[in-house]
Amino acid sequence: MHKIGLLTVLAGALLTTSAIVPAVGQEEVILRLLPYHTDAMVENFNPNNPTGPQQRTRDFTYEPLWIENVWNPEADVPGLAMSYEIAEDLKSVTWKLRPDTKWSDGEAFNADDVVFTFNYAKAHPDYPMGIDVYSEETGTGNVVSAEKIDDLTVRFNLHEPDSLARYGQGQIYPLPEHIWSSVDDPKNFANTTPVATGPWTEVRNFSRSGYEVCRNTLSHYNADNKIDCLSFPQMNGNEQTVAALSAGDLDWLGDGLTDPDITFLPQSEFNNYWLPAGSDVNLQLNTTKAPFNNLEFRKAMSVAIDRDTLVDISTFGLTTHTRFPIGTGEMFNTWYDEAALQPYEWLMQYTPEKAVELLDAAGFVDKDGDGWRDNPDGSPISFGISMPSGWTDWVNTGQTVAENLQDVGINASLKTMDEGAWFDGVPQGNFDVYVMWTNGGATPFSQYQPMFNPRQMVPGQIDFQAMHQLVIPGIEEALDKFRSTSDRDAQLADIGEVHKLVAENVPVISLFANPTWYEYSTRHFTGWVTEDDPRYRPQVHDGTRERVLHALSLQPVAE
Amino acid sequence: MIFLLRRLAFYIGAFFLAVTFNFFIPRLMPGDPSARIIASFQGRLNEAQVEAIRKSYGFTGSLWEQYVTYVGSIMRLDFGISTVQFPEPTASLLFYAATWTLVLVGLAIFFAFTIGSFMGIHAAWHRGGFFDSFFTPINVMLNAFTPAIVALLLFYAFSLQLQWFPLGRAHSTSIMPAFSVEFIGSVLYHATLPVMSIFLVSFGGWHLGMRNVMINLLNEDFVILAKAKGLSDRRVRYRYVARNAILPQITALALSIGFLLGGALVTEQVFNYPGLGKFTFTAIGSRDYSFIQGQLLLLTASVLVANLLSDIANVILDPRLRT
Repeated sequence: MHKIGLLTVLAGALLTTSAIVPAVGQEEVILRLLPYHTDAMVENFNPNNPTGPQQRTRDFTYEPLWIENVWNPEADVPGLAMSYEIAEDLKSVTWKLRPDTKWSDGEAFNADDVVFTFNYAKAHPDYPMGIDVYSEETGTGNVVSAEKIDDLTVRFNLHEPDSLARYGQGQIYPLPEHIWSSVDDPKNFANTTPVATGPWTEVRNFSRSGYEVCRNTLSHYNADNKIDCLSFPQMNGNEQTVAALSAGDLDWLGDGLTDPDITFLPQSEFNNYWLPAGSDVNLQLNTTKAPFNNLEFRKAMSVAIDRDTLVDISTFGLTTHTRFPIGTGEMFNTWYDEAALQPYEWLMQYTPEKAVELLDAAGFVDKDGDGWRDNPDGSPISFGISMPSGWTDWVNTGQTVAENLQDVGINASLKTMDEGAWFDGVPQGNFDVYVMWTNGGATPFSQYQPMFNPRQMVPGQIDFQAMHQLVIPGIEEALDKFRSTSDRDAQLADIGEVHKLVAENVPVISLFANPTWYEYSTRHFTGWVTEDDPRYRPQVHDGTRERVLHALSLQPVAE
Repeated sequence: MIFLLRRLAFYIGAFFLAVTFNFFIPRLMPGDPSARIIASFQGRLNEAQVEAIRKSYGFTGSLWEQYVTYVGSIMRLDFGISTVQFPEPTASLLFYAATWTLVLVGLAIFFAFTIGSFMGIHAAWHRGGFFDSFFTPINVMLNAFTPAIVALLLFYAFSLQLQWFPLGRAHSTSIMPAFSVEFIGSVLYHATLPVMSIFLVSFGGWHLGMRNVMINLLNEDFVILAKAKGLSDRRVRYRYVARNAILPQITALALSIGFLLGGALVTEQVFNYPGLGKFTFTAIGSRDYSFIQGQLLLLTASVLVANLLSDIANVILDPRLRT
């Protein structure tokens, strides 16, 4: 009797659960997206907390000053600012703010909030808000102060002339002064009831396994906003995300998938993906050591690598080719001068016989008779290509590169290591060869600046991009000039100079362009960005300010 | 009594040794928690900001100073702040994950132990019969499977293809946690496949253990006497043989309950079940020292307590230890 009672309760419970699930959200339009993998949701909506909250609150809840439309720079979209003006002397940028804007609690947004935000960033360096605050002490950064001109005008003053400063300032996410002025320790502040200006600000149904953020009726987007709530489910792992997207539990995803034509597309007729070319992947050679300090050796390495195999096999055909040996790639193709770079294109072509020729001519021959080439001074060459274990495509890449180099007599091998150790090796400069991603950004400056800034080549604080540690003064000069003019032609000439110097000196060896990951389901929404309609960068991740426009432009499917 | 006191002293010593290991082992791994956070900014930080982040997410002071602080906070049951989920207290994450691990692994152990033991009793009583010669080899075979295979097969068949069960999670997101029929039902529904994947590979062990001990006991004099007295089959089977045979099983059960808080990494990963194994895996990858320490401490404490309980049980059940 007792047993039957229990079973009845269980069966009843099962029935009620299955009855409840589909009943929710019949009238509401909900977009389900996954910008970040996590094991549990934490009730934290701090827009500058990099351990998850930032990925979910920026753009959707907190608005930036300016939304860079990176793929269509002529069609930038105002955020909390309506326009900007760069001063003649390039020492300040003046922003006109959006009038009649209210925070979600009804308070008015104005210049005081922006000035407060800057001063707040300055007062809390351990709370990174993405603002390049100038520090007298260390001489780093460039924005000296924020000045209120009138209620809707703010001027940012710079330490040095910088034509690019508006890019950095555009990505400031203003905080409401009336809330944050009483927060003394922003890094530890959970911000459980966000007050913001974006289209979705009202958190509901929070649990460790997910939550929703719903319509902000005071937002200037509200009239055109067809989506009532964003739903952020908790997930971690590709098995789960692919299954959820295929089952209609997720609409928008940006996960790295192996062989998506087999593992992803066939799972549902609504599944789609597109992998536009992203930033370049380079081999970083430690030029403080032999043989990498020899330019001919670096050139030989570059032509010894079979990039077709890297693209088609090692990285599963998901990456794309890079044309020129300039360390950045097709992502910045509006910036390079093909004619000027033509003479360097050979460095990207697989010609092992040319590698052998270069090595022989430079004196890298087998002196001790062990079958491997040695340094001109007779010391043996043997090095590892360091790769974090488990990063399959990169591990394959390292393997292929090592084999290619062995084919021309260089004793190179793949060296996989724990991810933590791999990250740890960077600032110390304790390595031979690394594979490294490159930075995105509005201009190639964001890649070349960290790559060739000698201050970021000091062991102990070597930047991910500066691991090669090759100081090229001409590049620093050209970058300074680039930054101190706003004339597009002059900038093109400066960046052309950088391209030429990179191609001549081969500080890094370009391999291929990474894909940017973008998967979506047309089950509940249509109108997604596609290859034929590249109106915005389509990623769901933080760092893509256009993502809010992408979401707002979707059409709910009538159900 | 002296036996118990000696054991207790040993456990306290072992605990402090474990506390020390918990502190040093994560720090012997290369890498520190801030590297990943800095990498995630992709060059959007200037040098001063990088330095500030290193300071705030990393740990300051010499290793010895850190150790003293750590032992002090352990005494106050303060497990520190997680860096994976900054600034969430590690204790709240540990408590959350431990709860779900208790549900998942607890249910699996409970069913595996009960069903396995009963099958073992039955197989031993009718040894050589159909039940014994059919189920014993099958259960031994199941026992040799790894949870990874079973979990993925169950996930593929029942979640993806047939869609009888949810894809993952501990409960439906549309039901808020509460002590209600709906919520408990949802928890049980979501736990079915994960529990099944652990149960399937573990109940064979209990079956085999019980069966072997039973068979040895069946030839003992007291069993023959009991039968000769004319006691019912049922009484002899359960009150005389099974009751004696269960002793070594109880010790083994105490051990597996101790290791329960280690979580079930593979199952949790496949079914996105928020248990300790999954959290610890992420924490190790991200060098979240506080969480790794907290979890190891929890595991140590539970193994030691389970051992102590099994010692006490042995003293109660075995008169030879009571000197």
